[in-house]
Amino acid sequence: MMTFDQILFYALAVIAVLSAIMVITRRNPVHSALFLITTLFCVAGIYLQLHAEFLAAVQVIVYVGGIMVLFLFVIMLVNLETLSQERRFNRQWHIAILVSVVLLVEFGTIIWRGKAALQLPANQPLMDTLTTNNSEQLGVVLYQQYMLPFEIASFLLLVAIIGAVILAKRRLSSDGK
Amino acid sequence: MEFFNSYILTLLILTPVVGALVLALLNKEKAETLRRTAFGFGLLTFVFSLHLVARFSSGQSGFQFAENHAWIPAYGIRYHVGVDGISLWLVILATFLTVVSILASWKGIEKRVKEFFIFILLLEAGMIGVFLSLDLFLFYVFWEVMLVPMYFLIGIWGHGRRIYAAVKFIIYTAVGSALMLVAILSLYFLNARATGVYTFDFPIWLNNIASNRLWIDPHIQNWLFLAFFASFAIKVPIFPLHTWLPDAHTEAPTAGSVLLAGVLLKMGTYGLLRFNVQLFPEATRTFTPFIITLAIIGIIYGALVAMVQPDLKRMVAYSSVSHLGFVVLGIFVFNMQGVEGAIYQMLNHGISTGGLFLIVGMIYERRHTREIAEFGGLATPMPRLATCFMIITLSSIGLPLLNGFVGEFLILVGGFGASIARAKLYTSLAATGVVWGAVYMLWMYQRVMLGEVTHEANKSLPDLSGREKWVLVPLILLALWMGIYPQFFLRKMDASVSRLLNPPIVMMVQK
Amino acid sequence: MFNQYFQPNDILIIYPELLLALFAMGVMIIDLFLDRAWKVLNAFTALVGIAYAAYALYRLKSNALNLSGYNHAILNDSFAIYFQFVFLIATALVILISARYLSIEGENRGDYYALILLSLIGMNFMVMGIDLITLYIALELMAVSEYILVGYLRTNRQSNEAAMKFFLLGAFSSGILLYGISLLYGISGSTDLRVIAQRLAERPSHDPIALVAVVTLTAGLLFKIGGVPFHQWLPDAYEGAPSTITTFISVAPKAASFALILRIFIVGLKPLETSWVPVLSVVCVLTMTLGNITAISQSNIKRLLAYSSIAHAGYLLLGLIAGNEYGITGIAIYFLVYAFMNIGIWTLVVAMRRKDLIGDQIQDMAGMIYKNPGAAVLMLVFLLSLAGIPPTAGFIGKYYLFASVIQTHHYVLAVIAVLNAAISLYYYFRVVVVMFMSEKTDEEKMTLSPGVLTSLAVTLVFTLLIGIYPEPFIRFAQNSLSLFQ
Repeated sequence: MMTFDQILFYALAVIAVLSAIMVITRRNPVHSALFLITTLFCVAGIYLQLHAEFLAAVQVIVYVGGIMVLFLFVIMLVNLETLSQERRFNRQWHIAILVSVVLLVEFGTIIWRGKAALQLPANQPLMDTLTTNNSEQLGVVLYQQYMLPFEIASFLLLVAIIGAVILAKRRLSSDGK
Repeated sequence: MEFFNSYILTLLILTPVVGALVLALLNKEKAETLRRTAFGFGLLTFVFSLHLVARFSSGQSGFQFAENHAWIPAYGIRYHVGVDGISLWLVILATFLTVVSILASWKGIEKRVKEFFIFILLLEAGMIGVFLSLDLFLFYVFWEVMLVPMYFLIGIWGHGRRIYAAVKFIIYTAVGSALMLVAILSLYFLNARATGVYTFDFPIWLNNIASNRLWIDPHIQNWLFLAFFASFAIKVPIFPLHTWLPDAHTEAPTAGSVLLAGVLLKMGTYGLLRFNVQLFPEATRTFTPFIITLAIIGIIYGALVAMVQPDLKRMVAYSSVSHLGFVVLGIFVFNMQGVEGAIYQMLNHGISTGGLFLIVGMIYERRHTREIAEFGGLATPMPRLATCFMIITLSSIGLPLLNGFVGEFLILVGGFGASIARAKLYTSLAATGVVWGAVYMLWMYQRVMLGEVTHEANKSLPDLSGREKWVLVPLILLALWMGIYPQFFLRKMDASVSRLLNPPIVMMVQK
Repeated sequence: MFNQYFQPNDILIIYPELLLALFAMGVMIIDLFLDRAWKVLNAFTALVGIAYAAYALYRLKSNALNLSGYNHAILNDSFAIYFQFVFLIATALVILISARYLSIEGENRGDYYALILLSLIGMNFMVMGIDLITLYIALELMAVSEYILVGYLRTNRQSNEAAMKFFLLGAFSSGILLYGISLLYGISGSTDLRVIAQRLAERPSHDPIALVAVVTLTAGLLFKIGGVPFHQWLPDAYEGAPSTITTFISVAPKAASFALILRIFIVGLKPLETSWVPVLSVVCVLTMTLGNITAISQSNIKRLLAYSSIAHAGYLLLGLIAGNEYGITGIAIYFLVYAFMNIGIWTLVVAMRRKDLIGDQIQDMAGMIYKNPGAAVLMLVFLLSLAGIPPTAGFIGKYYLFASVIQTHHYVLAVIAVLNAAISLYYYFRVVVVMFMSEKTDEEKMTLSPGVLTSLAVTLVFTLLIGIYPEPFIRFAQNSLSLFQ
């Protein structure tokens, strides 16, 4: 018998995956963007289930609020007519589906056959979720335990900015010619 | 002199390399200077190699003039070179034929003279290195190094389908040597596991095998034997791995063919004798009937195919397959006569087939064709060339008083006395090869040299020039010397060969 | 200020990376003040940065510091330091050849060098990291810089297309990798590879989740090194990218990805060896064979070298499959060798880029021996080295890898590998044929800038030196054995 928690989790997970598939199959980019928002919302919901309220909020504010709005702006600025005309998939999608199904079956059998040996770690309490502040925990993990990766991520952002500048300059220079 | 004695082998390997470097620095327009320099270095190497003959002590069975220095000590790889009765004459053959082929290329090579002689000298260094190395890693290095200059010699200065022939040559040999590398490494680890010492040193391996400290499971031995055999059999070449040879020989320039037939093929038989037979005694016994069968097929097949070749050079190439079959037979009959005959036949083949290629090259330089049908009655305009050709042909057939006879005779005697099953049958079959050899060689000689001059172009061909005489006369003198007084050469082999056949029993050392 | 998460010497451990970051930003700022004619100073600045970093790294190697830092997120052991030296050498050589090439392409800007230095930082952390999060972020830092660099030629359609393909597939593979990482975290509760190894050892042997984690991790990582069947991006990216960048990504990021793979498989997934060795063996055979066979039919030198580099990735996997001292030393020395020989040959490809000729068809090299005899001979040396013919460095590298699998009794693999090496001769010598045995088609000579000449001299000297006297280099490469501790 599934608990309400589990039912909720599976519902969110299924919706997230389905809308992710919709994101890549829709012809209209605006539809894709909307489905992406759905996916992100579902993931935020799963975070909530894990008692990571702060993360869920950040997910909604940053991804759904900030990045997606930016996406939609870009989509609307670009010429939609030509985009929707172009072929979205090349001819190899049959093979791609075949490979994916094979992989899925493979993973399925691996897990099924090894069911006996399947052993998940015992449910650990997710820290002291109720006593400590959620965002404080995140801060500790991010700025203390994983300080170095966090710093490296700042370089990653720097690289991304340089890349964006190069891309933007490209548009300018090709317009200039 | 002391210095000379202790570093002579390194000197032998390095002199051609230095020569190549000197050539690289010279102006490429001055062809004559380049030729003279190359000749000088070739001759110098040859003179150094004669020092080996002079100082070689015949009674000793072990390796002489040995040098042993650490090269990559981290993995027990050493620069270990030495010479014994088996490799001594082969080294001399290599240095001698290099001088001959440099002389023979004086006129024939007009384009890119500088590179040509650089490659010839590098090839010489590689060949000498192969015969001298006693560390299997070093041996493999030289074995591979040699491929590159030979590839260029065929590919740049060859005829017709030269690139095809060059690529075929390099792929065949590379596949073989790749397998050998696996076998060498396997032995290295087997030895290390058995004795705890990581080394590629050949004498140490032999000692360990003789003293049973390194015992290789017969099953594994068979595989290792086959891996080495693949590499050497391609080089020899043993039927049915010979298909690269007619192409490479035919398309190569004269000097390339001479060195290829004269020295490179001997590396295969040398390898069989030195490594296969000594490292894997049990496997050798297992495979002997099989290899002898292949050798006899090679003798007869080579002779028959040679008979029907319309192309002079291709005919000589196939005759090599046949002659090398004799050498392989001699090695695997396992007695004094057989093995010494095999070594002797290696030298003979170097001289007589080298000579044949030289003469074919000379005729080609005059007529720019090698079709036997184009010739006929060449003896009339070129009597001196005809005489030389006759002597070398007879030496190749194995006429008594010439070198070929001694080798073939020893091998056949060895074969009849061999202690293997059906030895007499095998040997009789091989002996028919001698007859076939006489048939196709003499028939060829008759069609090319004797009779009326049928083609107008052949009437006014010039006879041997001074330089060409200098090329051929030493070969003919050697052929006579080796035919009349073989003891001079055989004496120096005796100790090493008898040690090879009856390895000394080393006392088992308890670890 | 200091606590268990942040120790004073943590800063010292990443001192080389801090210097590199400083210079990366410095290049961009200095670039603003440079006239068009003085842009070459950017390359100079970047080289100074690398020199400083190398010196800092050298000091780090000689001072016996406690090299684990940042709450065990990184481990700057001699394995990591060795690979960082390889990256620094490779990057310096690439920068040497970049200046002239960029000015021919008309894209001579400072951000190019900044991106190279930043991806170098990423690579350095990739070999230092012992924590999956650090490793992943570092990998992304390297990869994102690469995506941008591949598409650096803004007006070149091919370059853009290559970047796009590379980016999409790269992002996809990173996703798969991340999935594997999350599974590992799920079953072990830690991101530290050493802890993961302990936990995995405690689990039952045929644990399905662990198996799925291994498969996904392998898939994601194989993409980075171009292992079959995740290699399709590689020829396109190599062909489309600016040649200097191809030079770069064919060596340094590949070495970094391999070091990362070694760290993950030898340290973290050691308990699951029995399940990943067969998988990798199959991949290894496919990679070698497919790479070599496809290379045979290429007419474009960049594509030919791309497929050859796939084949080389296959040889390198041998070392991992063996997983013993020979194998690890083999991989380490192979990358040192590969840095020299591959950069050498790519430098020549870069130098063939002339004003009006792309120069990337094999046919463009026809009769090179007449036009540029020196370049032709160099090319020959590098090709022989790639083919693994002694006495060049490539032979030493191959020798180690082949020896490693023979030591672990993988004879079939060894035979397939050596036969592949023999096949590879065919296409390497095809280039030789064109250079040495065909007539020249044009008179135009190569553009050899001082930077290119320096790079060629260095690569040539080391390609021959490592081949003839490998001892000191082997000792150097044995530093990588700290991986086993």
